[in-house]
Amino acid sequence: MLTIHGQRHRFCDGVSRRNFLKVGALGLGGLNLAQLLQAESGSGIRRSHKSVIMIYLPGGPPHQDTFDLKMDAPLEIRGEFKPIPTRVPGIQVCELLPRIAAITDKLTLIRSISDAVDDHSDFMCMTGRTKRNQPPGGWPAFGSVVSRVLGAQDPSIPPFVGLEPTMQHRPYNASGPGYLGVSNRSFRPAGDGKSDMVLNGVTAERLADRRSLLTSFDTLRRELDSSGLMEGLDSFNQQAFGMLTSSKLLEALDFQKEDKRVIERFGKGDPRVHGDAAPMLTEQFLVARRLVEAGARCVTVAFGFWDYHGNNYQNARADLPLLDQGVSALVEDLHDRGLDKEVSVIVWGEFGRSPKINKDAGRDPWPRVSAALLACGGMKHGQVIGSTDRMGGEPADRPVQFGEVFATLYHNLGIDVSKVTLPDHSGRPQFLVDGQLPMKELI
Amino acid sequence: MAYHSSNSFRLIRAIAPTGLRRVVFAVLLVLSTPHLARGESPSAESLKSLEIYAGVPSSTGSMLQLRGADSQRQLIVTGHYASGKAKDLTRTVVFTTPEGGLLKIGPNGLVTPLKDGVGTLTASVPSSGAGPGPEAVSATIPVQVVGADKALPVNFPNQIAPIFTKAGCNSGGCHGKSGGQNGFRLSLLGFEPAEDYEHLVSESRGRRLFPAAPDHSLLLEKAISSVPHGGGKRLEADSADYRMLRRWIAQGMPYGNSTDPVVTRIEVFPKERVAALGAEQQLAVIAHYSDGSSEDATQSSLYEPNDKEMAKVDASGLVKLYQQPGDVGIMVRYQGKVAVFRATIPLGAEVNDLPPARNFIDSLVFKKLKQLGMPPSSVCDDPTFLRRVTIDIAGRLPTIEESTLFASDTSAEKRDRVIQRLLDSSEYAEYFANKWAALLRNKRNEATHKHGTYLFHDWIRESLLANKPYDVFVREVLAASGDIGRNPPVAWYRQVKNSTSQLEDTAQLFLGVRLQCAQCHHHPYERWSQQDYYSFSAFFSQVGRKPGSQPGEEMVFHKRGVAKATNKKNKEELRPAGLGNAPLELPPEQDPRNSLVDWMAASDNPFFAKSLVNRYWKHFFNRGLVDPEDDIRETNPPSNPELLDALASHFVASKYDLKELIRKLCGSTVYQLSSEPNEFNTNDKQNFSRYYPKRINAEVLYDAIHLITGAETKFDGLPEGTRAVQLPDNSFNASVYFLNVFGRPDSSSSCECERSQDASLAQSLHLLNAKDLQEKIAADKGRAASLAGDFKRDDETKIRELYLAAFSRQPDPLEMKVAIGHLEKKLPSKEGKPEETIPKRRAYEDVIWALLNTKEFLFNH
Repeated sequence: MLTIHGQRHRFCDGVSRRNFLKVGALGLGGLNLAQLLQAESGSGIRRSHKSVIMIYLPGGPPHQDTFDLKMDAPLEIRGEFKPIPTRVPGIQVCELLPRIAAITDKLTLIRSISDAVDDHSDFMCMTGRTKRNQPPGGWPAFGSVVSRVLGAQDPSIPPFVGLEPTMQHRPYNASGPGYLGVSNRSFRPAGDGKSDMVLNGVTAERLADRRSLLTSFDTLRRELDSSGLMEGLDSFNQQAFGMLTSSKLLEALDFQKEDKRVIERFGKGDPRVHGDAAPMLTEQFLVARRLVEAGARCVTVAFGFWDYHGNNYQNARADLPLLDQGVSALVEDLHDRGLDKEVSVIVWGEFGRSPKINKDAGRDPWPRVSAALLACGGMKHGQVIGSTDRMGGEPADRPVQFGEVFATLYHNLGIDVSKVTLPDHSGRPQFLVDGQLPMKELI
Repeated sequence: MAYHSSNSFRLIRAIAPTGLRRVVFAVLLVLSTPHLARGESPSAESLKSLEIYAGVPSSTGSMLQLRGADSQRQLIVTGHYASGKAKDLTRTVVFTTPEGGLLKIGPNGLVTPLKDGVGTLTASVPSSGAGPGPEAVSATIPVQVVGADKALPVNFPNQIAPIFTKAGCNSGGCHGKSGGQNGFRLSLLGFEPAEDYEHLVSESRGRRLFPAAPDHSLLLEKAISSVPHGGGKRLEADSADYRMLRRWIAQGMPYGNSTDPVVTRIEVFPKERVAALGAEQQLAVIAHYSDGSSEDATQSSLYEPNDKEMAKVDASGLVKLYQQPGDVGIMVRYQGKVAVFRATIPLGAEVNDLPPARNFIDSLVFKKLKQLGMPPSSVCDDPTFLRRVTIDIAGRLPTIEESTLFASDTSAEKRDRVIQRLLDSSEYAEYFANKWAALLRNKRNEATHKHGTYLFHDWIRESLLANKPYDVFVREVLAASGDIGRNPPVAWYRQVKNSTSQLEDTAQLFLGVRLQCAQCHHHPYERWSQQDYYSFSAFFSQVGRKPGSQPGEEMVFHKRGVAKATNKKNKEELRPAGLGNAPLELPPEQDPRNSLVDWMAASDNPFFAKSLVNRYWKHFFNRGLVDPEDDIRETNPPSNPELLDALASHFVASKYDLKELIRKLCGSTVYQLSSEPNEFNTNDKQNFSRYYPKRINAEVLYDAIHLITGAETKFDGLPEGTRAVQLPDNSFNASVYFLNVFGRPDSSSSCECERSQDASLAQSLHLLNAKDLQEKIAADKGRAASLAGDFKRDDETKIRELYLAAFSRQPDPLEMKVAIGHLEKKLPSKEGKPEETIPKRRAYEDVIWALLNTKEFLFNH
């Protein structure tokens, strides 16, 4: 049961009509796509592209070599890279990020994420929570929550798509649907179900044959089941057939369908898996954009491997230009297509890196402070939020919690974190964040 | 003064904008005759008498008493009809107030005092006036008003805190969340009035309240939103609640005395009622105080239906039923106390030729269906029954031989014999061990856990096979001591680490009580307080651990000492106590966990047996009598309380015999009803007038697919042919995508809800197109290959075999025609080559593929 507080009380405000609708549609227990769509079309609610693209940098990138250069620190801390001025006077970033520098008016840099934990895992970045003391069923990923609360926007596009592969270091794949169950798991075109998306050993004609055979055999009446499950199953089957023949989803996943100039802007990524994490496919940023445009509500991408225990500078010189191109292309493209108010972008890793360079010329994990980049989503940009001390080791002002960023992302999607709760496996209503509010600087 | 409210008047009030209302009303008064409002003609049935409820009757009979300026009473006028039916007429009767203007009565029957005195109040339904019609019926009640001009000192916990609850100020989303909202904190739902008082009066430099000019108190200005308020407007400036708050502030914010009466329980009137589809019922709530007095709390209580598809309730306690027959409970909350109103909404069809009742389950379900006027579906045919019961008891499809034998068996007891045969099989034990292993958290987090998870799974399976009495089974888990190798149930303590999770799992799994909320605050929907929570946790306070004989294992032992726990809230030291029971004084040498199970397994324990029979009911019937099955509470009433009680008594009387319980469940006619709806019960979701289909769970489905395709299962490290329902722990979910995507649980909670039975796109894609499944269908040693290579039998025989294997039934002529048509299909000619018939093997693959993807295959129906 989805609960929106305030509903039952005499004076209810702050709840959109859309949320109200969902209470009715989802209160029946579980995702019932058919009903949801029916309700949506019946109410004449305009479809929006409100969505979030989350770019996860596995391993934790060095904040002081990317978005928060510490030029006042001694050489052995500040390192080799120089800052460059950016579009917004007063904001500087690393010299290896010139394209991002050129669009800082469209971005916000948070330099003081303060509550990371020392755990090589996507869990914080995807759920906003720590793995410790989880409620029965476990914390759900952001995308799973969005899938549960908002449901599918388009019947042929899953609401939550995860473009990341299954990464070799298992904890990089730690987040899941938690107490929201497998039906709210991300659809993973590159994950375990990857091979299910293309026809396996049967031709399209044969599939069509089979389908007509199935239609003849499938005589059990849907009316037998008043829970909506059979109806849901039929509707997912239709979607699946659609995908296997030709479909919106496959179309969206194929960036080659894009204009050549756009493809060029996103550049050619590096398909090799980096470290024990992910490849650096800037093309996936484009796919993510195509997906949200087609109707996905949350798309996640894992990009590269940032656990620079050794050769910090050499690694950064190789990796940052790709990040620079991918992120800047994504942000500019969203603006060009008029999606900048609709789609929020977040780029971050699980923690920052140590001020001190270690004996292998690397930086070690540093949960005490890290940085994040936010773009679009109708937020106020051209700013830096928070700062670190002279060594880049501690937040100096405005420490920001993961939960605040998530509260902001939910806010951008029109979800009120102070009102919506979802029950965990003990039936306890859980809020989407732990009391954090959307960040005033951004909304 | 008389007030006449007709249905049509209310309707107009509800839909007309304020400006128009008056005009439309005037016109309508002319046009409508009072007794024909909305077609609910009272003359359709003859009204015999009226009854006025005005609070709990005293020894001298019913009386409407109002004491003090703040007092109020919700009247409820019930009409009794010749047919024996009762109907709420509170909003349709004409009230005649006593002489002398003693009181005021609102259109909804809410009475407030004006002046001291005694008199009589009359409620009447007038005769229809013109022409012959029913006689006027009326009822009277003596009235006494005392102290109408006396504003008594306000009591904070009894009068002020409930206002915050009603207005939602102290809800979990606003000031009631831990830490409050924007610096102002109230206790969740007002459970801690002393803290609320402190926060209001003393915090924030006292600026929240302003006794010199009460209307300028920040509290009131925020509440009516005259200064910006994040929560918006919560109160109207002319409301009774506002005036009460204002008076309390003007009085200098009295808290009340420690000797002031406190609410001990609340009562709702009526408690239950049989009502028509779409009917309305006004509720009245009475709060009983520790000094024996009672007050009307109708306006201050919160109302919530347990099924929002069936009813809604407004803030004044008016229940509006929807067009959905069945039972609905309305939870009423006031000051941490709860009560429930139950409405039964009959469909009203004739229930004449019921199928034969085979045991008490049938008598009680049919009794309910008669009451509801909902005829059940007919009894299902033999193939459907065999498939249904084999899946539910043994977790597999019936074999072709079983189906054939069953079809040819003509004895009257053949269904009972199948049930018994399945219960005697090891497959029963395997299937239920699979269920229990997940709930008992038989999880492999580390490679070293394997030894323990295998042993524990084996222990569960053996226990079920030997039909160990359920109370003994539970005792051996909860009171387990020693080394996993010697006493496998100790493994439960490996996953359920601390006393908090031990008590929460115990309550949810074995008692059906969700206690989690009471850890930090009074349970919002229940009577459990933190006192109850920590007293219960004391049973686990003496659990000791030391390293076990194997790596990754621990020994669990009873630490000698007095069992106790500390209430986190008030730091009080508590002795162990069963829920709702007195604390136990246990000697230090006694393991408190044994005392816990003693309490649980006592024949009069109100939770233990009920929880299990309800869990098993859900397993077989797809919906608990209480649903969710592990959320039994007063405010979530069973759809058939008598049946739940009867099942629990039977279970206790059988000495907790699980197989006997299953025999009764599956042996009932109710279990054997068809899932095909008749014209009345399509929407039935809780009365079991037909069988509710359920999707076959991940493991059973995986095995079934192997059975139909003829492919062998293979799990890492397990012997070939091991079935998915036999898997010892959760570790295989990660490597077998099928199990994962179809929702096999990971044993990480004690909730059945961890098993996901939802549909998803990934599932559809997998079943329709997975390489793995495709290979199984096309395997050289598989069924398609062998059917194609079998030249002794004709295609029709083979199709019959497939249908028997997949659906346990024969194909009908049309299905046979489709299948044969496909087997003889001509493929389109290519590049001038002659037309060819589809290769046999390929054709059989297609047929098998299609059968596997039908709903008939995927569902137990």
